[in-house]
Amino acid sequence: MQLKGKETFSTSGQQLWDIIMDKDKLAAITPGISRLEVLGEDEYKAVVDISIGPVKGAFKGDLKMVDKDPPNSVTMKVKQMSKIGNADVTVHLHIEEISPTQSTLSFKGLAKMSGVLARMGQRVMTGVAATITKQLFAALQEEVQKLKPNS
Amino acid sequence: MTYIGKPIKRIEDDRFLKGLGKYTDDIKLPGMTYAYILRSPYAHAKINGIDIAAAKAHPGVLAVYVGSDIPEAVAGVPCGWQVNFKNGDIMKEPPHPLLVRTKVRHVGDGVAMIIAEDRATAKDAADLIDVDYDVLDAVVDPQKATAAGAPLVHDDVPNNIAFDWELGNPKEEVAAALASAAHVTELSFVNQKVIPNAIEPRAAIGIHDAAYDKYTLYTSTQNPHLIRLLMCAFVLGLPEHKVRVVGPDVGGGFGSKIFHYTEEALVIWASKKIGRPIKWTAERSESFMTDAHGRDHVTTAKMGFDADGKIVALQSNTYAGMGAYLSSFAPAVPTYLHGTLLQGLYTTPKINVDVTATFTNTTAVDAYRGAGRPEATYLLERLIDLAALEMKVDPAALRRKNFIPAFDGVEQEGYVTQVALQYDSGNYHPVLDKALEMVGYEDFRKEQAAAAANGKLMGIGFSTYIEACGIAPSAVVGALGARAGLFESAQVQVQPTGKVTVYTGSHSHGQGHETTFAQVVADKMGIPMEDVEIVHGDSDSVAFGMGTYGSRSLAVGGSAIVKSIEKVLEKGAKIAAHLLESSPEDLEYAEGKWTVKGTDKSVAFGDVSLTAYVPHNYPEGLEPGMDFSSFYDPANFTYPFGCHIAIVEIDPETGKVDLKRFIAVDDVGNVINPMIVDGQIHGGLAQGIGQALFEEAMYDETGQLINGSYMDYTMPRADDLPSFEVDRTVTPCPHNPLGVKGAGEAGCIGSTPAVVNAVIDALWKGGHEVKDIRMPMTPERVWTAMQG
Repeated sequence: MQLKGKETFSTSGQQLWDIIMDKDKLAAITPGISRLEVLGEDEYKAVVDISIGPVKGAFKGDLKMVDKDPPNSVTMKVKQMSKIGNADVTVHLHIEEISPTQSTLSFKGLAKMSGVLARMGQRVMTGVAATITKQLFAALQEEVQKLKPNS
Repeated sequence: MTYIGKPIKRIEDDRFLKGLGKYTDDIKLPGMTYAYILRSPYAHAKINGIDIAAAKAHPGVLAVYVGSDIPEAVAGVPCGWQVNFKNGDIMKEPPHPLLVRTKVRHVGDGVAMIIAEDRATAKDAADLIDVDYDVLDAVVDPQKATAAGAPLVHDDVPNNIAFDWELGNPKEEVAAALASAAHVTELSFVNQKVIPNAIEPRAAIGIHDAAYDKYTLYTSTQNPHLIRLLMCAFVLGLPEHKVRVVGPDVGGGFGSKIFHYTEEALVIWASKKIGRPIKWTAERSESFMTDAHGRDHVTTAKMGFDADGKIVALQSNTYAGMGAYLSSFAPAVPTYLHGTLLQGLYTTPKINVDVTATFTNTTAVDAYRGAGRPEATYLLERLIDLAALEMKVDPAALRRKNFIPAFDGVEQEGYVTQVALQYDSGNYHPVLDKALEMVGYEDFRKEQAAAAANGKLMGIGFSTYIEACGIAPSAVVGALGARAGLFESAQVQVQPTGKVTVYTGSHSHGQGHETTFAQVVADKMGIPMEDVEIVHGDSDSVAFGMGTYGSRSLAVGGSAIVKSIEKVLEKGAKIAAHLLESSPEDLEYAEGKWTVKGTDKSVAFGDVSLTAYVPHNYPEGLEPGMDFSSFYDPANFTYPFGCHIAIVEIDPETGKVDLKRFIAVDDVGNVINPMIVDGQIHGGLAQGIGQALFEEAMYDETGQLINGSYMDYTMPRADDLPSFEVDRTVTPCPHNPLGVKGAGEAGCIGSTPAVVNAVIDALWKGGHEVKDIRMPMTPERVWTAMQG
């Protein structure tokens, strides 16, 4: 399944980068991720709880950040396993600063699924991915708002 | 004749409709345990290790087995048909292990078997097994599998090629004929992978009786004896006389229950180890992942015509997906059941068929209703209909011009094809004439033109097909690579009171054997149908059998019954002659009694049978009893044929295809029970139409089956289909005693291209000159095609 999205935020590229690189903030803004625990440099254990249509399950696995080019781009590799199937997601994030108070975050990636998740979940996945993206961007907008001194 | 030719209601339906049918999963035995198979979630992955400790310790679990627990000597389930490479090398036949040891090759490949006190416990314990996989890239397309650098399904099979194969006239001759043709129609298309979807999921029960060291396997199968032979001789090395295989009532198969599956051998192997019966029943999602799939061809074909519209040559090149392993009869399907049918009903003088069979990371492919003949029919009928559009000639007239002239196989020789067969009897114009009359062809064309003028899209599609069934003459198929004989056996056992028990080696999975065969027996013996019992499906009661597939039961199994009846009546005549103080030559047999010709002296069948078992007053030198077995090996295949016509309307806004009418005129030779034949045709049509419009096993690029449930895989439903208009012509088979040709697959073989052709015709008439729409023709695909 292909993943992509793009959103503009009223903040600098560096600040956007800092939010994403803060594991607690990243866990807070990403729907489904309840916690990120540090495993090593740029490597986290992710605790995920997802419910997609008829497919519900607790996942365990890790999240790795590779090819970091602060504050411009990073690739996140997420591997999640569960009894209903496994997900292997690679997402390339790209930040572009338009001005010190305006930046865009875009991403594209690929999610590979197996097991029941693949067999029965794919039909609803595209819609779910769109919903998750929307929620993630909304939460990130809130985080950006929190950075503003007078908000 | 009292019964043959009458639409007698099916005897077996009484128990089926009352819920009294006995299927494998209905069987409950004292001490029975339940098996669950843990299956691979990946299409292609190396297994680094399997941790079963937690599962083994789970309360209620009796045993957990993985690949390394299976004895080394047990290589796996075998393939029953050998096809050689063009260069003479034997096909690549990698083992299909009962449980995977090192590498999984498709989603659903068995990794561990858990046996527990109940099904839920076994399943819970499966969740506790930790398999360490290294996921590998997968390949799912039969053609792309041969590309350089494609992932290898089996490390020792280069380019994933199981075998390549060629039949017919030399390629150069075909190429020369195509080069000089006035018109050449070329078409590349996909005959997509489909899933059989028998209503009863597969199930197996393994029992070991320690007292006799004897095994019993109950299994939902189309051929119990064949399963016994394959499992005993080629998998587990068990003595056949110590193994009983029973196929009780079977709820559909469509081919998918011909094959010997790993679970059958697993429950038998483990039953002795744990000393209790083991039942395994597939969940529906396992059926999707592990029942052998059908079709999966990627083809490019060229058909050349001279200036008069006569076909001058056909070249076909096909990549045939085998899936991850060679299933029992898989190699025969794209070769001897497909390539040999590319003559069709036409006099094409030059034909070459080239097939490359490849392994992919998908569920194994094997015979599915029609098995190779639907693929051949699809190829020919798509090409000739498209040629008619391209050449702007009438598709019915184009077919007529190319039909093989009528031959009855008695006065006129059977027709010898360019592709290794000799048709038994055929008369092809009448099926087309009758179908055209039923459809009201001229009126339809006017209606179609008027509809087009109003912006509506209506189309008509033809399919004039032939198939080869009554499988099969053993010597012929043996020469073609079959590793088994394909004869049939029958025992007719007359009881002292004149009641008759018939044991047949063919086996119903929905065809109505108990009715059709009883009609034959009752008529031939002149006794009431109620006095006949048809027994099938149990290797302990039926001496031998090859089962039911390839529309063979009546043509081959029925013929064996007739042979035994002839023996019964011959002996009966000797006893009757003795009782009547006459000689057998002076007697005639009719309506259940022997009569001395020209007199009113007669003796009834029941009196003769009683005498046979109470031989106090008996012919000297004659053995008592009345019980005869026969084996019948057919002289040739049978060749049913027919004409199917589809009429569709397409919604130009959405691309949705509405099948308005479907006309099928089939010639299946003589008909014993017209109601059952109509039912077979109806079911076959629904299945063939299902492939055209709805069904496909869809894999993503990682080899995941992404529509493995009824929420995702579209089955044809009653409201998708019109009321079928069916009729028949009768051209008897000249080489079997009943003159029958077989009707089980015809509907599925002829119908698919008729529907696709109708859609293409509708689009051309609406100004969209598209050559092909990939099946299933979903609204999206049709709409997209219309956008140019």
